Amino acid sequence: MRRRTTMVVTGVSALALLTGCGAADMTQQASPFANARGAKTVTLSVQSWVGAQANVAVAQYLLEHELGYRVDTVQVDEVPAWDALSQGRVDAILEDWGHPEQEQRYVEDKKTIARGGDLGVTGHIGWFVPTYFAKEHPDVTDWKNLDKYAERFRTPESGGKGQLMDGSPSYVTNDKALVKNLKLDYRVVFAGSEAAQITQIKQFAKEKKPFLTYWYTPQWLFEKVPMTEVKLPPYEEGCDADPEKVACAYPVTPLQKYLNADFAKDGGKAARFLENFRWTTEDQNEVSLMIAEQKLRPEEAAKKWVDSHESVWRAWLP
Amino acid sequence: MSTVNDTATTTGTRDGAPVFSVDGLWKVFGPKAHRVPGDPELSALDPAALRARTGCTAAVRDVSFDVRKGEVFVVMGLSGSGKSTLVRCLTRLIEPTAGAIAIDGEDVRAMDRSRLRALRRHRAAMVFQHFGLLPHRTVLDNVAYGLEIQGMGRSERRERAAEVVAKVGLEGMEQRRPAQLSGGQRQRVGLARALAVDPEVLLFDEPFSALDPLIRRDMQEEVVRLHREEGRTMVFITHDLQEALKLGDRIALMRDGRVVQLGTPEEIVGSPADDYVRAFVRDVPREQVMTVRTAMRPAASAEEAGRGPAVRPDATVSEAIEAVARAGTSARVLDDGRCLGVVDSDGLLSVVADIGADRRAAGEEPAGGVPARRREPAPQTPTTSEEPV
Amino acid sequence: MATLTAPTRKAFPPGLSASPAVRKLAALALIAAVLVPLAVTRWGGGTWPAALTVDLSEPLGRASDWIIDNRDSHPLFLYFFGHVSNAVVVAVRAVYLALLAVGWAGVTAVAGLVAWRVAGLRLALGTAAAFLACGLLGMWVPTMQTLALMAVAVAASVVVGALLGLAAGLSDRTDRALRPVLDTMQVLPAFAYLLPVVLVFGIGVPAAVLATVVYAAPPMARLTALGLRGADKEVLEAVESLGATARQRLLTARLPLARKELLLGLNQTIMMALSMAVIASVIGAGGLGDRVYQALASVDVGAALAAGIPIVLLAVVLDRVTGAAGARLGQEPAPNARALWAYALVATAAVAVAGRFAGRLEWPDGWVLGIAEPVNRAVDWMTAHLYSGVPVVGGTADWAGRFTTWVLDPLRDGLQWLPWWSVLLAVAALAWLIGTWRTALTAVLAMAAIGVLGVWKPSLDTLSQVLAAVAVTLVAGFATGIAAARSDRFERLLRPVLDVFQTMPQFVYLIPVVALFGVGRAPAVAAAVVYALPAVVRITAQGLRQVDAAALESARSLGATSGQQLRQVQLPLARPALLLAVNQGVVLVLAVVIIGGLVGGGALGYDVVFGLAQGDLATGLVAGAAIVCLGLMLDRVTQPTGRRTKKGA
Repeated sequence: MRRRTTMVVTGVSALALLTGCGAADMTQQASPFANARGAKTVTLSVQSWVGAQANVAVAQYLLEHELGYRVDTVQVDEVPAWDALSQGRVDAILEDWGHPEQEQRYVEDKKTIARGGDLGVTGHIGWFVPTYFAKEHPDVTDWKNLDKYAERFRTPESGGKGQLMDGSPSYVTNDKALVKNLKLDYRVVFAGSEAAQITQIKQFAKEKKPFLTYWYTPQWLFEKVPMTEVKLPPYEEGCDADPEKVACAYPVTPLQKYLNADFAKDGGKAARFLENFRWTTEDQNEVSLMIAEQKLRPEEAAKKWVDSHESVWRAWLP
Repeated sequence: MSTVNDTATTTGTRDGAPVFSVDGLWKVFGPKAHRVPGDPELSALDPAALRARTGCTAAVRDVSFDVRKGEVFVVMGLSGSGKSTLVRCLTRLIEPTAGAIAIDGEDVRAMDRSRLRALRRHRAAMVFQHFGLLPHRTVLDNVAYGLEIQGMGRSERRERAAEVVAKVGLEGMEQRRPAQLSGGQRQRVGLARALAVDPEVLLFDEPFSALDPLIRRDMQEEVVRLHREEGRTMVFITHDLQEALKLGDRIALMRDGRVVQLGTPEEIVGSPADDYVRAFVRDVPREQVMTVRTAMRPAASAEEAGRGPAVRPDATVSEAIEAVARAGTSARVLDDGRCLGVVDSDGLLSVVADIGADRRAAGEEPAGGVPARRREPAPQTPTTSEEPV
Repeated sequence: MATLTAPTRKAFPPGLSASPAVRKLAALALIAAVLVPLAVTRWGGGTWPAALTVDLSEPLGRASDWIIDNRDSHPLFLYFFGHVSNAVVVAVRAVYLALLAVGWAGVTAVAGLVAWRVAGLRLALGTAAAFLACGLLGMWVPTMQTLALMAVAVAASVVVGALLGLAAGLSDRTDRALRPVLDTMQVLPAFAYLLPVVLVFGIGVPAAVLATVVYAAPPMARLTALGLRGADKEVLEAVESLGATARQRLLTARLPLARKELLLGLNQTIMMALSMAVIASVIGAGGLGDRVYQALASVDVGAALAAGIPIVLLAVVLDRVTGAAGARLGQEPAPNARALWAYALVATAAVAVAGRFAGRLEWPDGWVLGIAEPVNRAVDWMTAHLYSGVPVVGGTADWAGRFTTWVLDPLRDGLQWLPWWSVLLAVAALAWLIGTWRTALTAVLAMAAIGVLGVWKPSLDTLSQVLAAVAVTLVAGFATGIAAARSDRFERLLRPVLDVFQTMPQFVYLIPVVALFGVGRAPAVAAAVVYALPAVVRITAQGLRQVDAAALESARSLGATSGQQLRQVQLPLARPALLLAVNQGVVLVLAVVIIGGLVGGGALGYDVVFGLAQGDLATGLVAGAAIVCLGLMLDRVTQPTGRRTKKGA
């Protein structure tokens, strides 16, 4: 009996010790793999598309070889990445396509995330058809004529309608609403991931089949499969405010970098470097292509680019 | 003469207080089991009717007996007769429904947990049918297990265990595991484990029924030897009549949860209480169980009481037959030099042929007597009951 | 019809097999006759009535916003979840740092020597080779990260599972309460677990570890309870008869007696945790899973394989070593066991120290073997030559198209066209025929819950994919299984293939499948078939091989042809195994069809992915709940009563 009492008392006090002696803010806990073995570690978020991999590969290469950091990369979808960035599990996002809601919450309200400046690349989302098809049928590049070609874009998956292929569910997309509001005879088929979408596009291209897809620039795939944008009703400020009633094209977005607020403050050279990191669409595509098409490992691709563009990256070093 | 009657009639006062004293014990399984023993109507029902009425099964019904110090008390019955339940009730491995159990006069049913544990640790140890050994322990650690539970130190309990292992003839196997032993060896481990705690009573629950016949005989002899050497009180459960007769000082024969007859082997074989018991003991070689007491008659003359070979009163009939046959005359039954009577070939033959009962019923008071019992006779006759399984 | 036969049923001899089935159907018909008109007049037929749905997205969305806003301030998070999360981070970090400190040579030596002591020399060599292969593939650091995460997750799962199992093993009431929960958790797709954890902990290692624990603890709990309950009654009685206290009984008898089950539980927990390690990369687990995930994002099957192979190697090694340790239980330990352990320890320490002084803690860069490129070339060749235009049979894309048009579409449209009550009725009838009224009730309630959640249509879409995939899996699986059961050589050839396919992370299948079948539901179905096939083949072959030899012999002695033997003896006698194969097939197929959301499978899987990707937890959680219900329903519908299975086995 006494033993049991002792045990209960021990247990309760242990619990009290563990929990009562202090608050643990899990939004401030770093990754357990960070800063291993004494090296200063930077954790970068890699999004699933290759352009983002190119940014990270070059940043990682320079951080490791020029500044002596260790870099960990984590693949997280865009929205959760904001959360991870705010918690400090990720130190930086190098390419963000615009998430006003998250920006408001984390940058303005909570101040756990700091802006890191422009990446230097402008992004644009749109609907694309392969150039070989656009050359044959020049009028397809106007959305008003899309219904005429719906028959040609049909697949088993889209049933009786034309197929508009969308990619990862994590991407910014208004396509379902667009199809509905523009009264198009199309069905949006979600490839579920960019990998699946690219694979499908390449298969179509190999057979010179027509297809209509959600796509974005800058993207290395354009080098392999030239595509032409379909003109949607022009974008105006605020026309995409109500996601249900959207009936206009996507905007052109200057891609942004974001840093964890603490990292921006205490991150030293690494933080300065990442803030200075700024390159062009061409630079990014060059690295992307090496990774995705030549199947170079990201660090090899980064090395190649770094070796040949010293004047560009010298300016980034603090 | 008087000894036989004593064992049958007294309730164990001869050797002092009984070790176990069981009175009116019931064990009923099923919903609301406790109401059955108290209800005269329910408790009178036969098993099938009881089950139909209440959904309950009475495994032990109103059983009373005493186990005396130093005796081997055998509970015998076919499977389902309630004997295994009965022996588990003694140390409350199964909680009895009603009745009284006392060990050395102490009420077992009133014991609290720690008293009960002390009883199990020090006073009664059990040997199981399928051995119940811990497969992950060596022979030595299995034997020492009871001591370990008592909190004895490692080296001391191993030393004790080693002694007991030697006593049951398992030297050299201390480091083996149960899986590496034969059935007989395993049961020796089980026996050693029970012996190691030096209990007042050893309880055996059909310990040898899972063994080959030859090994079973070895083990029975082992028990006989142990009993002879140590004089420990034993309660022995078996379904094997031969075993019961061989080992038992007294036998309680159970059927459907009741004790139908309680007595010495000779009483059971010589004067079955009812047709069920009679059917049961029919094939027993009577000459090896019955003693010459049953066969003897008073000496017809002083001359007859003075000659012929001498036999002890507890000699078996078969021994007497040999003596009588060799001598060609009747034999004297001598107890400490006093002549109790004589046995002749007629008397011996009538015992073997089981016609003594008629003769005794017709004539003189039987030597063995009708065993006195502290229980009412079994209600049914065996002819109506189903075949024993 | 059925109602007429039911009353006269009693007159028939009890051997008539149709009788219980007919009686059940009759009862169901009666219930339906009363309830259906009522329901239809009230809510109408067709798809699930809107009046009966509850829209959870609003409150769920609010809840998730609240959590994000209060995660760094509310006491519940500060004083409870924060510490949980912290403990996980600290533990994973400690293990990770330890692994790095020992260095690659040290880790390999430790693993090899432990394997040697518990499982023998051959497995020790295999283990060491596996670790070296991880390094050769250039995956040393990710492997260590995964290992650290796994170690913590498995330890936590074992502790939690063992405690739950202990409670269920010792108390009947807990067992009754816990068993259905554990049984159900075991059949749910891993994907369904991710969202709730992310909701509380956010993306990252703590969430990944906790999701893994939730996923991997149930088998441990089940097997612990099983072991405690299955202990030899007489041994326990013997222990009690010697006056053991409850604690002594537990520590000296019940737990040691359950060692086999405990080890099996550990084995299963490790396997579940490993399979989760990859899926958890979606929520930031890092390590090997993340490499697979990143490689897939760039359609790099070779790189995905390079990260997938270490996972398979880890899984095979851990499986074999724990399995061998279980088989060795009860054997006499070697006489000088302690000395050998000491040698092992010294040798390990020596290797680790040597590695340290040689400055070779990290895997040398020069020793990396690139397998990505050849693999990618092979995949490219495959897709280039098989995708379309193959003479006579047509390309895989054509098959996929036809499969979608002729099988998936009619199935989906048919299911969605069916009136909602008839779907419920069909579920009830199936579940009742195969199981008991309890299973039927659970199945119907689960199905109804899907409707109430407002995801009736996508769920039926997912269901149609599952049904199509299960049909293909069973046809292929039974055929292969029968072949494997009849030819030893074929089975020997098949075994390693099955092993690899079963331990391969589900993600790795997705990209080749897209390359072959295009985007859509067809590749999701194909991936599901590939994933579920090994289990079905294995169970079928095993079931057929375990058919009573005497029954087979007697059939042969009567001159049955081998076809007759198969049809009339083996298949009927192996019925329990075949039913189990169906059940397992359904469960595994569902798991992958859900992941098929990543390759255009759409429906519930897409909703979960969408929820995770967009942080839209309302959508994700509702879809996750629907998956849970669907899994529950499918399991109950295909689960024969435990009684019957036992009798057959």
